Amino acid sequence: MSAAAGVPSRAEVLTMFRSFLRVARKFTDYNIREYTKRKAVDAFRQNRNLSDPSAISAAFSDGKAQLEVAKRQAVIYSLYAPKLKSVMEVQNPIKHRN
Amino acid sequence: MALRAAVLRHVRVPVQTLNPALTLTGGKWAPPSLRWMSSHGDDHLTKSEVTDRVLSVVKSFPKVDPSTVTPDVNFQKDLGLDSLDNVEIVIALEEEFKLEIPDLEAVRIDSANLAIEYIYNHPMAS
Repeated sequence: MSAAAGVPSRAEVLTMFRSFLRVARKFTDYNIREYTKRKAVDAFRQNRNLSDPSAISAAFSDGKAQLEVAKRQAVIYSLYAPKLKSVMEVQNPIKHRN
Repeated sequence: MALRAAVLRHVRVPVQTLNPALTLTGGKWAPPSLRWMSSHGDDHLTKSEVTDRVLSVVKSFPKVDPSTVTPDVNFQKDLGLDSLDNVEIVIALEEEFKLEIPDLEAVRIDSANLAIEYIYNHPMAS
């Protein structure tokens, strides 16, 4: 397996994690928003102890592809935003107005 | 020049005084706001408010024991969190204060103190 892109650094991985959490909150639908966030947290935590360089590279490029999917879907879902808020959002009244 | 002088001699512009009832301050002079071109007024957060809200965000993080959280706490050294948790906390703070913290700054925020300083000095924090 060629490591053409090299092994991603710790900082790159954390930046990708941050990007996932940022794109997650762009989803208009509560369920998808929470799912994306939960999935990102779980996946990064699951791969936290990877030590094999090729496994790290593979996980990183997989994450990159998934991040692109999430970004694209956030835009698409925003065009079909649910008209009603989820009951989970209604129970926590919005504290601050913009 | 002669034409200009001739015109000016005949043109009169009446000097108007503003009707006090129509001005916003009711005729009284009000000191101008420090940030009068700002889109969000002068509702800047106080330090204690920032501190309270930062600490409550940190305390509500599932892995954190709320009783150990103080303004001087370091997320990774004192609370036993890892770098992933640190990222999550900074993102949660962004949401709480309606901010977007650039990556370069976000990696530096690793303690409650730094977070409070950064948010307190951020002009858009709300």
